[in-house]
Amino acid sequence: MEFLAYGAFFLTTALIFSLITLGLNLQWGLTGLFNVGLAGFVAIGAYTSAILTTPDDAARIGGFDLPILLGWLAAMIVAGAVAAVIGAATLRLRSDYLAITTFGVAVVVQLVALNAQGLTGGPFGVGFIPRPFGSLAENPIVFNFANLAIVAVVTLVFFLALEHLARSPWGRVLKALREDEKAAASLGKSARAYRIQAFALGGAIMGLAGAVQAHFIGFIAPENYLPTLTFQVWTMLIVGGSGSNRGAVLGSVLVWAIWVGSGAAVSALVPTDQQARAAALQIVSIGVMLCVILLVRPMGILGGTPKRKAPAEPAAGRP
Amino acid sequence: MNMQFLVDGLLTGSMIGLGAIGVTLTYSILRFSNFSHGDLMAWGTYATLMFVGAITALFGKVAPIAPLSFGWPLLLALALGMLFTGGLALLLDKILFQRLRAKGQMIIVVMASFGASMALRSLLEFLFTSSPAYFSRAIQIAKPIGFGIRITPDQIALLLLTAALVTAVHLLMTRSQIGREMRAVSQNIGLARVVGIDVARVVRFTWLIGGALACVAGVMIGVLVQIRPLMGFDMLLPVFAAAILGGIGSIPGAVLGGLIIGLSEAAAVQIFGAEWRAAIAFVILMAVLFVRPIGLFGVGER
Amino acid sequence: MARTVLEVRSLEAGYEPGVPIVRGASIRVEEGEIVVVLGPNGAGKSSFIKAIAGLVPVSGGSVTLDGQDITGAPAHRMVRLGLAFVPQTENVFPLMSVEDNLKVAGGVLPKREVAPRIEEMYRLFPDLRERRTTPAGNLSGGQRQMVAVARALMVRPKLLVLDEPSAGLSPKFVSMVFQMLTDVRKAGVTILLVEQNAKAALAIGDRAYVLVEGRDAHEGVASELWNDPVVAELYLGHRASPAQGGESR
Repeated sequence: MEFLAYGAFFLTTALIFSLITLGLNLQWGLTGLFNVGLAGFVAIGAYTSAILTTPDDAARIGGFDLPILLGWLAAMIVAGAVAAVIGAATLRLRSDYLAITTFGVAVVVQLVALNAQGLTGGPFGVGFIPRPFGSLAENPIVFNFANLAIVAVVTLVFFLALEHLARSPWGRVLKALREDEKAAASLGKSARAYRIQAFALGGAIMGLAGAVQAHFIGFIAPENYLPTLTFQVWTMLIVGGSGSNRGAVLGSVLVWAIWVGSGAAVSALVPTDQQARAAALQIVSIGVMLCVILLVRPMGILGGTPKRKAPAEPAAGRP
Repeated sequence: MNMQFLVDGLLTGSMIGLGAIGVTLTYSILRFSNFSHGDLMAWGTYATLMFVGAITALFGKVAPIAPLSFGWPLLLALALGMLFTGGLALLLDKILFQRLRAKGQMIIVVMASFGASMALRSLLEFLFTSSPAYFSRAIQIAKPIGFGIRITPDQIALLLLTAALVTAVHLLMTRSQIGREMRAVSQNIGLARVVGIDVARVVRFTWLIGGALACVAGVMIGVLVQIRPLMGFDMLLPVFAAAILGGIGSIPGAVLGGLIIGLSEAAAVQIFGAEWRAAIAFVILMAVLFVRPIGLFGVGER
Repeated sequence: MARTVLEVRSLEAGYEPGVPIVRGASIRVEEGEIVVVLGPNGAGKSSFIKAIAGLVPVSGGSVTLDGQDITGAPAHRMVRLGLAFVPQTENVFPLMSVEDNLKVAGGVLPKREVAPRIEEMYRLFPDLRERRTTPAGNLSGGQRQMVAVARALMVRPKLLVLDEPSAGLSPKFVSMVFQMLTDVRKAGVTILLVEQNAKAALAIGDRAYVLVEGRDAHEGVASELWNDPVVAELYLGHRASPAQGGESR
């Protein structure tokens, strides 16, 4: 019985990761936009929803006690809006600028979460986040399965919507833009608009995932949104295969299983005083795994990543 | 306002500037943003710390050069650390970046540098744990130099060292053949080949210089603040912001950008408090991207 | 009989394997000559000359420079082998001074020969001496070609290869560039060039080849080729008549 409850818990977490990875796949896999600060967008969603839905708290602004669904909606809107602004600032520039800027977003979000105590609760975070099925918490199996069901529904809805989007004219334009820089350049401003839309939508999905997770755990703190999160999700997407939504989900479950499994092995096998070190080694091995996959099988397990043709070296200079 | 922020800002700015030179060189010559550059700083610092330990083990305790907190062992160790870090950068290029570069998708190289960054940093945590280390625990007395500013001998020495290194790199880029070749590769790599430049050699040299300077920046942080596995990663945002503010590819720009960001951070610390320091670089970065994305000395995307 | 500097035999080359753009072209350049390669658009002229210079992968045939086989050598080796190439566009380093453009090319020479060689270049191109500190990107089109040619000559090549040196230049600069090339030849340099501007190129050239669909279709003395009615009408875009022959020279 306990095993079943844990299985549901594991899958719920893995599916929330899948949701983040689906958002990243829209940004990277479909559109080719490199987001190195996705932890920031996840955090924005989590905090937005937490602040709106928690009961009134004298220690900080907010605690508006709003319905959970409203919190989730707001999480998407705020995270999406931030992504849109970042996109507008950087998507006319070389792709590296987006990477650097999103990296900065994650740093600043982390800083705000830690220091704006009046808004975010500071290092202690926000507690008492309402759970969708809080009344069932007495019975862990039912509770976990209820959570799994709601997370599965949300993930499935977005999975299907993204599959549909990828095949829509909108998605085809994004793919075309990704594969053919020249076509993108000739479309000029409207190409940028398409990319900003994709980036904002991807950011909104990440924000929603953050909110869903916050309500599932009931408690959030700044340390949930460190660069390690960004890194995990990237590995999930690359392992699963960027460009494929199914790959995104599969990669998330697989990498999360590896992560949890190796974490359990560490805590079982390594003496307590050395566990921090062993955990560091865990990250090292995932980092090496990411690099090896990029080298050996850049399309991942399910990725049909359209290879962008390496431009033929011009005789001299760039065309 | 307390004028002390000038000293703090110049020092922070020097560290940022030295890091930004490496980033701007790899960007302009290899055309990718190296997210593992900060971790090269940290690796260089720990390597230098190890070399200091080895020298002390060999020669016994060496008295510091008065009035500094360190003696010749640190200087020798720094030189070795610079070599080590340059070599580490070369190694990373050899086993990772070079192969991905050959496939032609630069953004994959950026991603790999992000993965490498994670792995490098965590490896340091594994080897040295996350508790801070120090080159010296001696406390230096800051001497007043007027206008309410105090400065320690270490700080003066490190500012001079930065000035010397920046001048040396600038002369190297403008007066030496390898410097001209580096500029040529950054301006037009195809033409550089036609002219007979061995691009692979230029790339190796770029990594060596970038790595060596990253090591110096890291050791400065180590001497003035403390040594932690995260010390370099935490510098990454200001370093990138400085390179972009100065104009990608410009070495004077990287240094000036570093100083501007360092001084702004120091000023902001006085106004808003130390906890908001890291946000300054981001604010400056966003302002540059909206107003003048080519930076102060930039020449635009070619 | 003059020495053969360049011998290209049945060269095949193209960017993608299995899709040759150059399909069996052969040419020969004797010492001291200016040889022109002409042809209609899309004939593969540019790919042909780039394949010789090591910039387009070669899939068949051979390129021999002064007796040594240089087929398919990478571009950065060509300079050391004695072949200097001047690309059609973006052929200078725009942010570097004229002098640095020359110096960077001098890296192939022994160190002590660089300064004297730059001095020789300034004697050959006095305009450049006046602008030695100007960034090459700030020069006029004609002067940029001058920098590009001087840069290529820095290494005392056995053969100077130019890809459409007149492309994109105003008529005034076109005549300046071709005048420059005759001066360069007088200084003892052997030249191979591809040109779109057939009339001007044939006026300074000794011999010419017409490239059609990746093959050499015609070869001849420059002045005669201009007056060959078949060649003229089909590939050079003018109607040849003996009366015009004199004018074209």
